[in-house]
Amino acid sequence: MPIIVRLDDVLYRQRTTLTELSERIGITLANLSVLKTGKARAIRFSTLDSICQALECQPGEILEYVAAVDADDQPVSENVA
Amino acid sequence: MTHPLARSDRPLALAHSVLRVLITLNFILGFLIFALLIASLIASGPVFRALGAIPSPDNPRLIFGMRGIMVVGILAVPVLHLVYTRLLAIVETVKAGDPFIGINADRLQTIAWSVVGLELMHVAVVILANGVTVGTQKVDIGDKFSITPWLTILLLFVLARVFDQGARMRDELAGTV
Repeated sequence: MPIIVRLDDVLYRQRTTLTELSERIGITLANLSVLKTGKARAIRFSTLDSICQALECQPGEILEYVAAVDADDQPVSENVA
Repeated sequence: MTHPLARSDRPLALAHSVLRVLITLNFILGFLIFALLIASLIASGPVFRALGAIPSPDNPRLIFGMRGIMVVGILAVPVLHLVYTRLLAIVETVKAGDPFIGINADRLQTIAWSVVGLELMHVAVVILANGVTVGTQKVDIGDKFSITPWLTILLLFVLARVFDQGARMRDELAGTV
């Protein structure tokens, strides 16, 4: 998946744990873990809004796009759903 | 630990019980019709007199028609079993809180095709009954044409598509934070 979740970095910078974040924004720890470990398939704007508000950051600090490449370092084109 | 049924669970619990009873009754009825058919072959006179038909050399068609209707009745048993068991399986998924799954769309489709089969059997019975009338003796199944079963079939096919789409939407939402 080309979208990398950098939530760990922002949490570390803000000296906040995932549990504390979960309690502050009212999203379950399980769902935040799914997001943090890169297993989420989609994120709601409302979730992104809550996280950015709580961690005082921008969405671009949490989410990073990395183009997929093949063995020859050539970009792999993917179908957009 | 059990919890009291919520109001919305009671129709489900009722449906579950009714379907279980129908499954059993279906088998019993099928067995009885089969027994009647065998009895009509062994002792046709008493059996058909009890059914109100008087066997005679003049009305072999009537006897043939009545036996044909019994055969259709027996053939309907596995089709009805398919309908009841698929519906019971759908009810189980609703009780489990997860009805919008692809397999329920398949089950509804199966039920729809089964009802098509049952209606075709119904038409066959009507044709048989009308075709074997002899003089004043006729096979009276008290039937009139109704569009309701065909509307039900249409509804079932549409519902199958609704469930299929619902399952896809649910799958897309899975993993959304």
